[in-house]
Amino acid sequence: MADKMQLCNISENNFEQCTKCTICTTVCPVAAVSTDYPGPKQAGPDGERYRLKDNAYYDKVLKLCLNCKRCEVVCPSGVHIADIIQHARMSATKGHRASLRDTMLANTDLLGTMANLVAPVANAALGLKPTKLVMDSIMSIDKHRTFPAYSRIKFETWFKRHAASTQDAMPHHVSYFHGCYVNYNFPKLGQDFVKLMNAVGYGVHLLDKEQCCGVALIANGLYKQATRQARTNAASIGKAVKVDHRTVLTTSSTCTLNLRDEYPALLNVDTSDVRDSIMLATRFIYNLVDEGKINLVFKQDYKRRIAYHTACHMQRLGWQLYSIEMLRMIPGIDLQVLDQECCGISGTYGFKKENYERSQTIGSILFNHIAQAQVEAVATDCETCKWQIEMSTGLAVENPVSILADALDVEATRKANNLIS
Amino acid sequence: MVTSEVYKKEFDVIIIGGGATGAGTARDCALRGLSVLLVERFDYSTGATGRNHGLMHSGARYAVTDGESASECISENMTLRRIARHCVEETDGLFITLPEDDLQYQQTFVESCQRSGIRADIISPDEARHIEPAVNPDLIGAVRVPDASIDPFRLTIANLLDARLHGAETLNYHEVEGLIINQDRVQGVKLINKTNGEHVEVRGRVIVNAAGIWGQRIVQMAGAKISMFPARGALLIFGHRVNQMVINRCRKPANADILVPDDTVCVIGTTSDRIPIETVDDMRVTREEVDVLLKEGIKLAPSLATTRVIRAYAGVRPLVASDDDPSGRSISRGIVCLDHAKRDGIEGFITITGGKMMTYRLMAEIATNAVCAKLGNNVECVTALQPLPGSEEDAPSQSDTTKRYSFGQRAAIGRHGSLAARIEKDNDIDNALVCECEGVTVGEIKYAVHQLHVHNLVNLRRRTRLGMGTCQGKLCSCRAASLLGELNHDVKRAQDDLADFLDERWKGMRPVAWGDTLREAQLTAAIYQGLCGLDSVVNRQGKEDVQ
Amino acid sequence: MRTDTIIMGGGLSGLACGIALAKRGQRVTIVASGQSTLLFNGGSMELLGNIDGQVITSPLDAISTLPHDHPYSKIGTSRISSLASEAQGLLADAGISMEGTATTNHWRITPMGVAKPAWLTLSENIRIDELDKLPAKRVALMCIRGFFDQPNGMLAHGLRQLGFDVQMVEFTTDDITALRRSPSEMRAASIAKHLMSNNALQRVADQINKLAADADMVLLPSVLGLTDESHFKALQDMVHKPLRLIATLSPAVAGSRMQSALRHYFQMLGGNYLMGDTVVGGNLEGDKLLTVTTAKLGDMPLRANNFVLATGSFVSRGLMANYERVYEPIFDLDVDADGDREQWTRFGIMDPQAYSRYGVATDSGLHCLKHGKPIGNLYAIGSVLSGHDAIKMGDGTGVSLLTALAVAQDILSGNK
Repeated sequence: MADKMQLCNISENNFEQCTKCTICTTVCPVAAVSTDYPGPKQAGPDGERYRLKDNAYYDKVLKLCLNCKRCEVVCPSGVHIADIIQHARMSATKGHRASLRDTMLANTDLLGTMANLVAPVANAALGLKPTKLVMDSIMSIDKHRTFPAYSRIKFETWFKRHAASTQDAMPHHVSYFHGCYVNYNFPKLGQDFVKLMNAVGYGVHLLDKEQCCGVALIANGLYKQATRQARTNAASIGKAVKVDHRTVLTTSSTCTLNLRDEYPALLNVDTSDVRDSIMLATRFIYNLVDEGKINLVFKQDYKRRIAYHTACHMQRLGWQLYSIEMLRMIPGIDLQVLDQECCGISGTYGFKKENYERSQTIGSILFNHIAQAQVEAVATDCETCKWQIEMSTGLAVENPVSILADALDVEATRKANNLIS
Repeated sequence: MVTSEVYKKEFDVIIIGGGATGAGTARDCALRGLSVLLVERFDYSTGATGRNHGLMHSGARYAVTDGESASECISENMTLRRIARHCVEETDGLFITLPEDDLQYQQTFVESCQRSGIRADIISPDEARHIEPAVNPDLIGAVRVPDASIDPFRLTIANLLDARLHGAETLNYHEVEGLIINQDRVQGVKLINKTNGEHVEVRGRVIVNAAGIWGQRIVQMAGAKISMFPARGALLIFGHRVNQMVINRCRKPANADILVPDDTVCVIGTTSDRIPIETVDDMRVTREEVDVLLKEGIKLAPSLATTRVIRAYAGVRPLVASDDDPSGRSISRGIVCLDHAKRDGIEGFITITGGKMMTYRLMAEIATNAVCAKLGNNVECVTALQPLPGSEEDAPSQSDTTKRYSFGQRAAIGRHGSLAARIEKDNDIDNALVCECEGVTVGEIKYAVHQLHVHNLVNLRRRTRLGMGTCQGKLCSCRAASLLGELNHDVKRAQDDLADFLDERWKGMRPVAWGDTLREAQLTAAIYQGLCGLDSVVNRQGKEDVQ
Repeated sequence: MRTDTIIMGGGLSGLACGIALAKRGQRVTIVASGQSTLLFNGGSMELLGNIDGQVITSPLDAISTLPHDHPYSKIGTSRISSLASEAQGLLADAGISMEGTATTNHWRITPMGVAKPAWLTLSENIRIDELDKLPAKRVALMCIRGFFDQPNGMLAHGLRQLGFDVQMVEFTTDDITALRRSPSEMRAASIAKHLMSNNALQRVADQINKLAADADMVLLPSVLGLTDESHFKALQDMVHKPLRLIATLSPAVAGSRMQSALRHYFQMLGGNYLMGDTVVGGNLEGDKLLTVTTAKLGDMPLRANNFVLATGSFVSRGLMANYERVYEPIFDLDVDADGDREQWTRFGIMDPQAYSRYGVATDSGLHCLKHGKPIGNLYAIGSVLSGHDAIKMGDGTGVSLLTALAVAQDILSGNK
């Protein structure tokens, strides 16, 4: 034992590796606008030493943390600051019941299923002033918010009707974790994904059973339900990877981070044996191109000026490189990479009335940058950033996968990959 | 009373030494109605009082070898839980048997504890692992005892506060240079005021030597002799609590076999070495001591192998040789109270020494009894009954979750008990944190400066925990120095004080300067020397260590 | 993924090198494990400030006397002057306007009012060219109420020692007062975030104009301009006196701004900046590094022709120390460091510490060594280099910039 003495210093979530350099607090979007929030250093590693001594040191204002993880990204000491805060919240809120509003916002799955059945009504109702006022006053969802529109057809339904039958014929195969947003609000992204994958010879398959990844449940303190859903997803992904030998692709940076890192770190659902097989589509495709396994041909006349926004969770994943490089492959795109700033919405956080103003202030630096960039559209890998940026700048915000699918010359690409002669 | 007035007064009793024993004696004497002066050469609790484990023994550690000490410990342990609640954390302790230890010893141990009146429950290794997850999982036996953790700085200050509340005068940075002796009677002390170099004499009817290991010099000043055997012990502080209970080895006391959770940190110790009396002021911790502490410490709690070490320190325990055996072969670990009139024919002079930090109150009672006998005072001792200031029965608790305290307020209640109410918290600036690791606010610093005898940052640290967190003063010391400069209207002194404080922090970090502690040191140097240029305006060359 | 050059470390040195390469058309990826120590910089660069406690006035002359193992000596003292002007140009191109020359040091004023020798200082910061010619006599030192990261008393004392006639002026505005409601977050950077609108700046200007009417110059803590110098300029336009900023304790606004300006410029030039990722290992074949692997990119290694190690010293974890040894954590490269732990440090905190000079071992071309042999396409730059002492010699930022540019030149000429 003695020969292993003090070779490295480790502690849970590296909280003790903190040198109190205070860099994290300079990037915290919440501390910047709320004097109630003590900042990531205080809420995280500093508070942790006291909470270890006595749980009474848990402070309810930790709820204000967005879990955007910007603090973790800039930390020069590798401290998992946001995880420390989430853990503290989890151990402190055990047994507490969430409010109706939190439950509703968190259940993107349930809310989506109900809304899909009556999409035109739901969209109208969610957009109507009286409804918004009711939501504002009774449910504390801010009236300024436009709820993401619900699609009349779920992605899963579309897929079964229009795509499923042709997938098996493809030479290669992947599974797709589409997430709630694609399923209920924006099936087009899923359709674009299928188009892109099919064009390079990859058949797309849904998981046996997919539930909401649970990111909103975690943020709203509904840990039990999040864990249940995590187990279901982990089982489906496990089967896809280990039995079907398929990589599981995603088009949402937040879902991806949750499946890969938050399941084991926060919910104690071990996904380590399949972690490397869960990835964003842009990373998967980039690698195929890089290794010369596929070829992409883009439309000659496709010309756009686009700014790329690195979503907070994308930055935490560290994979913006792949989305940026994929976009750079499109000859007609003039790409501006924006400095990484938080858009302020952070999942369901910005939907809550008490956070609306704060959320918009946080985002203002980014919105200014976007205005200065003078672009036609913004690309980002996160659906909640999309809502926030669209609402706040009026510009269209698209997932890189949609832009790729849009710019792709499908016939030429299929030819280039020897799928047709 | 202003200091110059104090110099002119004649006291019933003058106590030399501002450790726990001296402070406790001052309190006891004052409560019995005597006029009291306490003098301390540095800051309060700079000696052995502030340089131990912060362990409130149940007595179990001594049960097998020294039943008398064990009984004293358990009795004082129960008393301190009542009278010093805000200084004590009732953690309980484990005595664990490891595979390399003899499990038979456990039986002897438990029986001895019971003989001394110490509750000792044998629990299964499983239960031990459950109640204290940090414990070495290989343990084969465990006994639960009422050990606890105690903060000696707070304890000393609370005693001094109560002494002052009852009329006592206390002077820190006043060193005894000699005694005023008239024929065979000690009649007072010759002092140097170390803050301004002034030499003064103060008279007292009885002089109590409570100077710990340095008491040997005081006895010599009276013309007598005492053989002290300084026992040096080194300890290591880890950056956070890995354990919630005290963990001891269930075997004959040896090196580094106690791990104590102290406030936000935990402490492993001690080594034990007899050292020459001439070296008692050298508190440098050696590489060998660090090695032993780590090697043995990880046997108690294996996670110490990877936990950041933030400091090393050492203290010297005053062990006294029996008068009939000055060679030191028969050393008492118990309390020694010498009436020099009986022993050496010197009137008006008492030495109280030996013992342990946690038996300070009993030592104080014994010393005060001796003082009262000389002065013909018959008042009963009440120190075991009357709570210390801050620890009254209705004092607020840092663990109270029904109240919405800020981090700084909660930490202050933890440190000052009911006296935290005196901390200004009515405006945003008073509530601002100066030390972010330990939650020390501007208000708490003002309180400490105005009411707890703070001359410099090191004093402030002992009163508040400022600079005792993992960054060891990197963020807070500049802020605190500025604040002291403002409160004392002396900027230059504040700058020197800042350098002294950083140096004092470094002395403890240096023996363990690797890993994150070395990173921290480099960042501190980059800020104070690189960014600020403090090294080009402050010269510490050849300066003595600040105490 | 293949690029021309991979730089490990995204601080001053890594960014300067990346910019120099990207400007010449190279595809460059920087992997930065968190923010850098540039955030502790108050707004000055130093070439060489002290040798053995002696203040240096002419750094270029003094550099030629440095020992052979100093990074400047390895670059070659003949190149220093031109590299220094290249560095100044690069900073200006990134939008960081600094003043000073490499031939003669000027004095920067520290947060404690100490004058320290410097090479370049941000235009809006106070700077003294010659100690007997102060830029102003009567200065108003604006002290923000409740802001503790500026030791006002010590600062005023230091300025008076330098000969300034200092009037200390405490002030606040509603925007700033509101910030103090947070017990911990009133820092220079957070104040700067609240002083981004003209209205907020006007409120500060009103206070200055009211309270500092008698001064020749107004000194304000550096709590302005996280993104660029526009806020300073806007405030100067509103204030009736010459305005200068003075560095605060860290994290410093000036350092944050320099970091983000450099990063922004690098990305504009097409560089990829991977913030929050760490290189964890590499594939070394003979004397050549083929790929590196990062924590987040996982099983997709990064390929490049050249690699640059700019991972910094202990603080940045470019070097690590444990109970047994000092080592370089990514490739376990050779290090110049004492083996015996007791030699790493000195007793007094102000003494020169041996560990300050530790770093990876390099040959004269700044190629990293492993088992005594150079790795031909792996260079080391900046604080990870051995043989200099940023704290005691005042050569940290200079070594970072100049070694970065020297290595960029060598990489580019090697590619020709």
